[in-house]
Amino acid sequence: MNRAAREFLKGFWSENPIFRLVLGLCPTLAVTTTAENGLGMGLASTFVLVCSNTVIASIRSFIPKKVRIPAFIVTIATFVTIVDLVMNGYFHALHQSLGLFIPLIVVNCIILGRAEAFASKNPVWISIIDGFGMGLGFTVSLMVIGAVRELLGNGTIFGAGMFGDSYLPLLLMIMPPGAFMVLGVLLGLMNKVEIKVAERAGREPLIKKKHDCSSCVMQGKWFDLSSGEEKVEDSG
Amino acid sequence: MREITRLCFVLTLITAVSAGVLAFVSDKTEEPIANALREAKMKAVRQVLPSFDNDLMEDRVFVANEEGDTVEVFRGMKGDSLTGVAFPRVSHEGYSGDINFLIGVNADGIIQGIQILNHSETPGLGAKIQNEDFRQQYRHCSIDSPKVWKVTKDGGRFEPITGATISSRAITGATLEGLKFFRKNYSRITGKRSGNNSMKDGENE
Repeated sequence: MNRAAREFLKGFWSENPIFRLVLGLCPTLAVTTTAENGLGMGLASTFVLVCSNTVIASIRSFIPKKVRIPAFIVTIATFVTIVDLVMNGYFHALHQSLGLFIPLIVVNCIILGRAEAFASKNPVWISIIDGFGMGLGFTVSLMVIGAVRELLGNGTIFGAGMFGDSYLPLLLMIMPPGAFMVLGVLLGLMNKVEIKVAERAGREPLIKKKHDCSSCVMQGKWFDLSSGEEKVEDSG
Repeated sequence: MREITRLCFVLTLITAVSAGVLAFVSDKTEEPIANALREAKMKAVRQVLPSFDNDLMEDRVFVANEEGDTVEVFRGMKGDSLTGVAFPRVSHEGYSGDINFLIGVNADGIIQGIQILNHSETPGLGAKIQNEDFRQQYRHCSIDSPKVWKVTKDGGRFEPITGATISSRAITGATLEGLKFFRKNYSRITGKRSGNNSMKDGENE
């Protein structure tokens, strides 16, 4: 598998933002009341992620290490505001239903995370691919959580009735506790599947038996502290 | 010291470029946003008014409500007779934030329809106040009928949304308040079509 395909596909499984990295949980828990909201939020985030990755990768040698975080945040906030304005003017109906969540994209740590861990260290083209992969992986995850919650909590998927009128919706699922339950169960299922798949393929599963920092998928790839005071040693 | 200068320079440059880009985008989208907002409002106004053939923007009046805010009242006319009016109303009793909605009544004060303009209620729960099923309950109601303007849980006749009694109560209460506002300012709202000048006066109030 070449590099581009690998960087693109990692967002869907091996480094899925929600289920593997467990990042960006605020929007994940808040917006996934319906599949449609999940899809809209995911696509808006993907747009911001691709744009911010592109800009940050192209000015990465110009930004001094010490002010990189404010520089990234300003860049991200700029794109979020652009999305907010353009959507309000040209896609008013969509903005009405998502309006509340758009400003939330600024504080979505998956976007800052990719800027820090990837775009600030890699060339532009591969950062764009990373942005698309991570963004779409995020979108699919939000949509799946949203679909499950909408189905159980409202008896519909994308607004289409699934169970008929006799179904009494389990309202809890579209309220905050439902978000935690669905996220937890899906995360567990995904780990279970990963262990099975790895066993069959005869490779090490991504989830280690041991529970410390060395078992994290971010180990060695994310938040390289070498520029700071401390170097993270591989303790595994 | 030199490093500090460099850090400041880089950050200033980045924020300046961002500000420039945002100023440009904001300038370009200002008109589409204003158009979209007006279009959305006028669409809601047309939906809650009985049939009319006048220019709604031309014939609107501005009336102060009990909170001292100026309310834009749209008047639907057929020829010279008033068919109905539509006016916005705010409820502060929502589950999260204000609910802005529009009430349409005919000349006798009977509700022709309500439309939610914007709200921050929970998606999937309180947000269902936008559904036709919920809103249509208020059609043909007036200040005297029903006697009890409350949701069924509080002994009234309006069926609240399951799991969103607070939002339903908010709409019910604010709709009644809206009808009271209409009754109280009846002569001002339904008064003879005045010249454009006096209407401008009203706008300044």
